[in-house]
Amino acid sequence: MSTNKAETAFSELYSAYAAGCLDPAFALLVETQAALRADVKRDIQISELIAATQFEAAEPAEMDDGAVDRAFEAIDAVNGASRPAPAVLNGVSEALEELLDLPDPLKESALVAAGKSGWKFSGPGLRRLSLNVSDTAETELYRIEPGAVVPRHSHEGTEFTLVVSGGFTDETGTFGPGDLSVKGPADTHQPVADDDGPCLVLAVRDGGLRFQGVIGIVQRLMG
Amino acid sequence: MRLKAASSADLTQRQRFAEHMASIATEQCRASFAELFEFFAPRLKSYMQQLGSDPSQAEELAQEVMVTVWRKAEQFDPEKASVSTWIFRIARNRRIDAHRRTKRPELDPDEPLLRPPDPETPDTTLNRSQLEEIVREQLDTLPTEQLELLKAAFYQGLSHSEIAKAFNLPLGTVKSRIRLAFNRLRGQLEGDP
Repeated sequence: MSTNKAETAFSELYSAYAAGCLDPAFALLVETQAALRADVKRDIQISELIAATQFEAAEPAEMDDGAVDRAFEAIDAVNGASRPAPAVLNGVSEALEELLDLPDPLKESALVAAGKSGWKFSGPGLRRLSLNVSDTAETELYRIEPGAVVPRHSHEGTEFTLVVSGGFTDETGTFGPGDLSVKGPADTHQPVADDDGPCLVLAVRDGGLRFQGVIGIVQRLMG
Repeated sequence: MRLKAASSADLTQRQRFAEHMASIATEQCRASFAELFEFFAPRLKSYMQQLGSDPSQAEELAQEVMVTVWRKAEQFDPEKASVSTWIFRIARNRRIDAHRRTKRPELDPDEPLLRPPDPETPDTTLNRSQLEEIVREQLDTLPTEQLELLKAAFYQGLSHSEIAKAFNLPLGTVKSRIRLAFNRLRGQLEGDP
C-alpha cells in the first residue's frame, strides 16, 4: 500500500473548525472542500468526533434554576409562532441552476447572496458574487466563462481559492474541483479558465484583492 | 484525570439518547427532552464557556442549542451520527456564527488542503457510525499525553503554537504527537511513513 504525504499530514484548520474557533469564511472553505473531496471529508469527520467525545467528557457547568422549564417555554413560543415564508429570490438568473448544483453549505450562502446583492460584472467573462459570511474575511464566489482570462492581479493579504467546479490554470499549475490555491501578497497571477465549461471558485481573502491595469481602475470605481 | 471515559457516554447511554431523539421527533415527548437536557445543557454551557463566553451568554447559547435540538429532532439520523456528535455540531455551528472570532489559519508546509486529492479514496464502505465506533475505540487506547493534546486542539480550539506554550513543549513535538494520534484515528499504523 502506497502512503503519500497527504495521509500523514494534518491541517490545523481541521481542529480549529471542529472546535468552533475558525472564522466563518474559512469554515465555509473547509466545509466546501470536504463536500468535494472524500479524504478531507473523512478527516473532518474524525476531527468532529474527537471534539464531540471531549464535549461529552467535559466537566458539566451548572445551569440556572429552572433551565429546562425555560427551554419548554421557548419551545412553546416557537411552536406558536407561524413559520416565516421562504425567502423569494430576486433577479433569478441563468446562473441559478449552477448555484443549485453547489455543495450544500456554499449553496445556502450563494442563494442568499444572489437574492440580495446579485452577481456583479468584474471584467470580461468574469462575474462575482459577494457572500456575506464573515466580518473579517472577504468571501466571494467567482464565475469565469470557459476560456476566459482573469486579469493579472496581486493580493493585499492572503487569498485562498478553492475550485468548486470546472478548472483553471495559472503560472503555478492547473487546479480542478476540490483543489485549493493560496497566494500571498508577493504573488501576482493570471488564471485562465479551462475551456470545457464555466469555472466556479470560492475565494476567501484576509486583505483586499487588487487588480492591476485598467480593470483595476474599473474595479476601484465600481467598488 | 477526567480526560477519558469518566463522564462520556457509553454505548447503552448513547442508544438511550438516540431513542429519546426518536420519541421527540415522533411524539414530541417532553420527558425524553428533559433527560437529554439534563445531560447536554450543562455540557453545552461548559463548551461555550470554554471558548470564552461568560456564564450568562453560555447559558443562553446552551438554551438555544437545546431548543434547536427539539425543533430539528426529525432531522436526526442515528445511522449518520451519535446524538452527542449531532448536538455538538449544532453547538459548534452556532458558536461560529455567534462569535465570528477570527482565527488566522497557520498553514503547515505539509498542508493537506493544498494537496491534490488522495488517489486512494478512503474506505467508502465505512459509514459514519462505524467510523465513530472506530474513533471512540482508538481514543480510549491513546496515551494520556496524546489525548491531552487532541483535547487542546480539537475541543479547546488552541493552535499548535498556543499548545506548545501551554504545555511547555517544542512546537515540533506538538505537531508530531498530534499527527501521530490523528493517524491512529485514521486507522493508520504508527510505522507508516
